[in-house]
Amino acid sequence: MVTAAASAPVRRALVALVALALLYGVVSEIGSRVLPRRIWMATHYIEDVELTPRYASLAEEAVFLVRAGILQASVLVSSGRVLAGVLLGAAVGLPLGLAMGRAAGLESLLGPWVAFFRFTPAFALLPLYVLWFGFGEGPRVGLIATAVAIVTLHGAFEGARRIPRVYLDAAASLGAGRVLVLRRLVLPAALPSLVSSVRIATALAWVTIVVAELIKPAMPSLGYLLALAGAYPRVPTIVVAIATTGVLVLVSDVAVLVAYRWATRWMRRRVG
Amino acid sequence: MGSGRARLQVADLAYTYEGRTPTRALDGVTVEVGDDEFLAIVGPVGCGKTTFVRIVAGFLPPTRGTALCDGRPVAGPSPERGYVFQEEAIFPWMTVRQNLEFGLLAKGVPAPAREPIVGELLGLIGLQGYERAYPAELSTGMSKMVEVARVLATDPTLLLLDEPFGPLDAQTRARMQEALHAVWAHRRRTVVLVTHDVEEALWLADRIVVFSPRPGRVRAEVRVDLPRPRTLETRLAPAFTALKRVVWRELGLGEGSRA
Repeated sequence: MVTAAASAPVRRALVALVALALLYGVVSEIGSRVLPRRIWMATHYIEDVELTPRYASLAEEAVFLVRAGILQASVLVSSGRVLAGVLLGAAVGLPLGLAMGRAAGLESLLGPWVAFFRFTPAFALLPLYVLWFGFGEGPRVGLIATAVAIVTLHGAFEGARRIPRVYLDAAASLGAGRVLVLRRLVLPAALPSLVSSVRIATALAWVTIVVAELIKPAMPSLGYLLALAGAYPRVPTIVVAIATTGVLVLVSDVAVLVAYRWATRWMRRRVG
Repeated sequence: MGSGRARLQVADLAYTYEGRTPTRALDGVTVEVGDDEFLAIVGPVGCGKTTFVRIVAGFLPPTRGTALCDGRPVAGPSPERGYVFQEEAIFPWMTVRQNLEFGLLAKGVPAPAREPIVGELLGLIGLQGYERAYPAELSTGMSKMVEVARVLATDPTLLLLDEPFGPLDAQTRARMQEALHAVWAHRRRTVVLVTHDVEEALWLADRIVVFSPRPGRVRAEVRVDLPRPRTLETRLAPAFTALKRVVWRELGLGEGSRA
């Protein structure tokens, strides 16, 4: 069942990747012919740079990064932070959003807070988080968790609130109590909205982590790899790091999408 | 039929929808429904017939008057009074089985005891083999029958049907009426059916209460003494047509084309 649900999103993601890679190939071929190889950077000229490195340079760089173990370690560390942030943020946002959607009192109590933080970019909290949590994992994971919590809270709130009245009436006249209504009605009815908010939050988490890792960059991480490569500058490293991040975003998006299709399988009419 | 003590006693029921222009939906409705009686309520659109069953179901507190079910006043919705909605109220994220089981789950009936009840209901509505289907895979008529069966699972003393086949086409309606009739014949109980369809009311009910236009009042009561089981012949019988004439007249129709 899950494999059937997975095949379409996976196929679409693969097609997108191949198309992007081909497009980049064309751009880099043109770029390496027309763009200057000598650029002015701040105080001095840098000689012999490839602004749009070709496949060959990228492959060489990728092989080096993998042999040295840098890429794998960076992927592992950054993915770990994203996962921790998403889990932590969703663990706060989803239950709170559901509760707000079901209890009018809670909504009027917390509503203004949510509205306030909803449009405050998570990065605005960065200096504060560094002061609160120091330069360790705290501010990075905390920043992702905050961004995720706000997005998922909203998704859960909307999902829980939009459940049609008639289902609640039907459940009441069948004698269902609060717990049963929450488990068997509110949760499944809100699930599509919940999962799509997690999907947006996961993409947002990747945006957040790369920036969050630029504060006091530390090996190994994708953010550090980017910062370091930018300082040299080593364009192939930058491109490999960007491509790796892109693939990771795509992979996590497909994972959430598969979960979404599973959660909404009741909406589709099976054929035959 | 329709004799015996009253299951449902409604006295002087009135309901006003508050708002900028308060709407009086019901005004002084008194109706009694006997044990195992099948009562139909017909009336023009907006005559308060849905308001009436919603009050009996416990979804609305009456503005005035009382509704007693088995002698006790109605206070909030209860599985004692099974309610089938005008809208689609089958839970779309649950399979047919999970829908049928819901009331039993709410009552805390353990799984082994739920099994035979669900099996019997599936047979009753002719949906064996569909227990793992989702409502999206069923026709509108069939999901309505699942809703009827879902309500029957907990054995209510009173069955309230609010225009259950409203949006269906004539043929499907007739088929669903037959299915409902079969279910009712098998599991006799007190029914209040709200409908705008006079034929549906005549074919199913023991007695018809005709409501006046808003605010709804009881304009007439028509006893339907047609033999059971009712069939296609019932629909075509002269007695059926005669009763139809009576009900249409009470609805204030049929005098318009006089030359």
